[in-house]
Amino acid sequence: MLSDFGVIFLFIITAIAFIAVALTIARLVRPHRPNVEKLTTYESGEDPLGNANVQFNGRFYVIALIFVLFEVELVFLFPWATVFGQASLIAQTDGLWGWFALAEMAIFVGILALGLVYAWAKGYLDWVRPQPKLPAVKSSVPADLYGKVNKKYAQKTKSV
Amino acid sequence: MLSIILLSIFGIVVLFLGFQKSKNILLPATLLCIAIAFAANFVHWNDAPGLYFKEMLFENRLTMSFSAIVLLSAFLVVALTRGFADDEAAQPAEYYAIILFSLVGAIMMIGFDNLIMLFLGVEILSVSMYVLTGSDKRNLRSNEAALKYFLMGAFATGIMLFGIALLYGATGSFNLTDIRGYVGTNSFSISTLLYVGLLLVLIGMLFKVSAAPFHFWTPDVYDGAPTVFTAFMSTIVKTAGFAAIYRLLSGSFEGIYNFWWFTLAAITILTLVVGNITAVYQQSFKRMMAYSSISHAGYLLLSLTAMTAQTPDAIVFYSLAYSLATVSAFGVLMAVAREKSVQSHENAEDFEAFNGLGKRNPLLAFVLTVSMLSLAGIPLTAGFWGKFFIFGTIVERGNLIWMLIVAILMSAVGIYYYFKVIIATYMKDGETGALRVPPFYRIVLIVSTTLTLLFGLIPKLLS
Amino acid sequence: MNLLLLIPLLPLVGFLINGIGFKHIPKSLVGVIGSVGPVVAFILSIYAFGAFRAGNNAPVIIQLFDWITVGTLNISFSFQIDQLSLLMLLVVTGVGSLIHIYSIGYMSHDAGFGKFFAFLNLFLFFMLLLVMGSNYVIMFIGWEGVGLCSYLLIGFWNKVTNYNNAARKAFIMNRIGDLGFLLGIFLIIQTFGTVEYLPVFEKAVGMSVGDSAIAAITLLLFVGAMGKSAQIPLYTWLPDAMAGPTPVSALIHAATMVTAGIYMVVRSNVLYALAPDTLEIVAIIGLATALMAASIGLFQNDIKKVLAYSTVSQLGYMFMALGVAAYSSAMFHVITHAFFKALLFLGAGSVIHAMSDEQDIRNMGGLRKKLPITFLTFLIATIAISGIPPFAGFFSKDEILAHVYEHNKLMWALGVLGSIMTSFYMFRLLFLTFFGDFRGTHEQAHHLHESPISMTLPLMVLAVLSVVGGFMNVPHVLGGHSALATFMDPLFANAQRANPALFEHGHLDHSTEYLLMGVSVGAALLAMGAAYVLFISKKNVPAADGQESGLQKVIYNKYYVDEFYEAIFVNPMRKLSDALYSFGEFIVDGLVKGAGGLVKLSSGQLRQLQTGETGFYVFAMVVGITALLLWNFGAIIFK
Repeated sequence: MLSDFGVIFLFIITAIAFIAVALTIARLVRPHRPNVEKLTTYESGEDPLGNANVQFNGRFYVIALIFVLFEVELVFLFPWATVFGQASLIAQTDGLWGWFALAEMAIFVGILALGLVYAWAKGYLDWVRPQPKLPAVKSSVPADLYGKVNKKYAQKTKSV
Repeated sequence: MLSIILLSIFGIVVLFLGFQKSKNILLPATLLCIAIAFAANFVHWNDAPGLYFKEMLFENRLTMSFSAIVLLSAFLVVALTRGFADDEAAQPAEYYAIILFSLVGAIMMIGFDNLIMLFLGVEILSVSMYVLTGSDKRNLRSNEAALKYFLMGAFATGIMLFGIALLYGATGSFNLTDIRGYVGTNSFSISTLLYVGLLLVLIGMLFKVSAAPFHFWTPDVYDGAPTVFTAFMSTIVKTAGFAAIYRLLSGSFEGIYNFWWFTLAAITILTLVVGNITAVYQQSFKRMMAYSSISHAGYLLLSLTAMTAQTPDAIVFYSLAYSLATVSAFGVLMAVAREKSVQSHENAEDFEAFNGLGKRNPLLAFVLTVSMLSLAGIPLTAGFWGKFFIFGTIVERGNLIWMLIVAILMSAVGIYYYFKVIIATYMKDGETGALRVPPFYRIVLIVSTTLTLLFGLIPKLLS
Repeated sequence: MNLLLLIPLLPLVGFLINGIGFKHIPKSLVGVIGSVGPVVAFILSIYAFGAFRAGNNAPVIIQLFDWITVGTLNISFSFQIDQLSLLMLLVVTGVGSLIHIYSIGYMSHDAGFGKFFAFLNLFLFFMLLLVMGSNYVIMFIGWEGVGLCSYLLIGFWNKVTNYNNAARKAFIMNRIGDLGFLLGIFLIIQTFGTVEYLPVFEKAVGMSVGDSAIAAITLLLFVGAMGKSAQIPLYTWLPDAMAGPTPVSALIHAATMVTAGIYMVVRSNVLYALAPDTLEIVAIIGLATALMAASIGLFQNDIKKVLAYSTVSQLGYMFMALGVAAYSSAMFHVITHAFFKALLFLGAGSVIHAMSDEQDIRNMGGLRKKLPITFLTFLIATIAISGIPPFAGFFSKDEILAHVYEHNKLMWALGVLGSIMTSFYMFRLLFLTFFGDFRGTHEQAHHLHESPISMTLPLMVLAVLSVVGGFMNVPHVLGGHSALATFMDPLFANAQRANPALFEHGHLDHSTEYLLMGVSVGAALLAMGAAYVLFISKKNVPAADGQESGLQKVIYNKYYVDEFYEAIFVNPMRKLSDALYSFGEFIVDGLVKGAGGLVKLSSGQLRQLQTGETGFYVFAMVVGITALLLWNFGAIIFK
């Protein structure tokens, strides 16, 4: 009989095997036409150039944190599901167990959802768009004058 | 245990209250929350000790007393925040929510019956503290303090977690009662893993209560953090930490007292010496208070080392006396420094800030004096009885009188730096002109001072 | 019975109100606030007295809370109501109320009016704590508290250096006594394991007469009483204490605080009954004090100084009574003395008030026409203190002398001598002040006026009490029932069980008692006659300072006791302290500074560890952890 750790070991072997098999099959069936863009390192769309030790946008961390939060939630759901579905407990409590466990998980997910709502409402999920500062020059010459001049001379050059 | 649930819900509620335009409601709401939790804490006062949440948490009068001290200190500290009204960049709703959540962690540490709960409690409290320490985002020192605290805290947490794992390895359980059973039944064949594990868990906890040589973070962090959170840290974290260490040692490891007492004794002495002696040199009041908090950790450890029947009462009383006095001291500092920083940009937290306070505002001067006397352990204040009870446990243990001598010598050193403050207050000339203190602030200070004096006159009141 | 708690609490409330708000409360209200507390406390005391009489006369303990618990010793904060504390309550609150009312008039021109009432109330609070406490520690708190208030009130006019010195002297002398008292308490704890009166006395009953521990306890307690009740050798502070405002002299230094020593001995009567040697010492010191103070009083010219020495002398009589185990007689004299001595002081205050702060009787005279009420009441008090029947002083003093006569005939004779002197100096005072021609300045004569009603009313009440006060304990021989003695009897039941021999003496037959009374009354009258001849018929006026000669000079200068103390104790102490100071410059200071320097040095070194680098901090932690692991498990690792 396998011990508990043996089961985990089997899982690990299966995971490695799964990835290996999947990658091998992919390699066999996909077309093979490399170019420069395809061969560069993937980095969320950023250009992988220069020193790696640069300041990243702080938003990455916020998003990552919220992501981790829901990862943990997911991890919690698995053991919960096994307990939730225990037939013996449901039978013993006349079905009440299911409702109880469901309510508990609803509270848990609810609280996490509230956290997401909070982050959303606070605007932490918005990606900061660059807001280029337009140079403003104080001048007695009205801005549209330049435009007019350009138009005028553009017509002239065309005509010539 | 009701208070844990309530505080969690209140934390979320306060968080969302922050979306309101007016921030003025946050402070009263938070105070109300803490008051309700305080009341809820006593619901089971007259019941027999009980286990909650599948034997995860334990509750008896002792844990309720510790929780009460934590909640009382939190109430006073929060009342001193004035709603962060004068800081535009502050996020009061988040601060208050974090404070409420951290209280959940503190109460879990006080009443854990399972090492997992201990770890969860420590982490909830610590992470909250990391954030609060760095809450003054534009202040470089605050940022530096937060990062230092976080890095070292993470290191200590790792060690503690490793210790917990070893304990599990040795005993096969996270449960305090089970571990106690293991220690009791295998008294001649206890696994070495258990000893190492216990030592590592202790080191992790001693870091949190800033015992030497794990205290180095304390002065920098206390100094860098906004004063109000320094007050929070030095009262709540310390009380909860000592409650947890007591719970751990008395709950599971009384049987191997002979193993851990000397380690604890050595750390105690080192803490007392380092805390008191280094405090002498400090020019900044906040740094002095940091070292003073290290030295008070030493006194509390003294009683833990003795571990007699009177130890829990002594720790409870001492924590209360220390918390009250600390809250008053930081309250006065905030009142004085705030005014000072408005006028000039020199370091507003030095001893000189108190110069001439006796003339500028006699009430603040009196509050500060009582608080310093209590910290120094002068009779007619609660601090005196705190030390008295602590020393009483050592005497009861009998063979540790040498520690008592060191402790008394060190409290004599303590008088030097506490009185430096009093001297600055009354005998040095400083700025003139009355110092105005908002009425609400005044009430908090009067309450904490009155309690200090009351317990100083009638220590029996707490029993 | 919870109303009893209000008795000490009311003056405390008064103190808090007046003490915190004396700058803001209008003057008219301050006096009312200050006086209401004592008056209500007095009414409550009467009520308590009635309730107690209606009950079964057993002591009532009111437990407030446990106060200190150390090991097996438990000191609770509790009150004990029995015959003794009730009597003291009535005297303290009764006389206290009158003096508060009197102060409204007397102090009305003073800038520190509110402060004065606050202190007076605080004093009353501590005094009530002293007499109501159910154990020695509470008594000690009250004891220290009244000492503090006395210090504050003697130095009330703190702009005058002399007054401050007087206050300091009182404080230091009392502290010497307090040390004895405190040691006594420690010894009680050591011997009995508790400080509660009832258990202590219960345990003491079982001990043998002459037990050395008891002797030590009683002696130490008596040292405390010496300080507080101004007995030889710690009496010199009391005359100096007259620097305080006159109501203070009346309340603290005549009627109440100085009798605390008597109260304490009566309270501990069981212990004293077990220590006959101590009793003998008490009696001798009491007698010596009575005689010495009375003789000094003969030649004093300051109206308050005369009264002060008279107080010391009367306290001596009380201790003499205690020394011969006549406890109830001592208490009786405490009560009557409170009446007539308070009256004398208040009368003196009225005179001083009228004379614009003149205290020298050589500059007075003929005041009886200008101050009729003051004169009449002063006369009554003088008769009372001189022991002329049927006024209060006669009964109490006669009872003491009768008991002394049973004990020792020589002491009785000396006691009668003292009473002759008492009568003489009191009538000398009376005659010089109120009879003859006015000897003051023209301006003072112009100012003379009778005091306002708030001052004369207490005088009249006290005068009535001085007249009838003696009738509460009329002896059997004069057809009375010794009501007071009967009332107090249960207090001494334990003492009688512990040492029956002390209370057994042949009862005097009636003819002897008549004879004794006759002798003392005759002596008093004789002294009065002598004073009349000297100061009214011959119109003698005491010589100006520095013109006395011989024995008179010695006595006028109070036997040079102050100078003696100065030479024997104060100066050597100063020299010693100078010597120690210069010695200390080198050695003690060196040690202290060295220790301080060492601390600072090591502090500076330790501070260097705080580098601010996280890396170093973590490194230090790692070193710490490694050291701990090596220490604990090195044996396993390097096996």
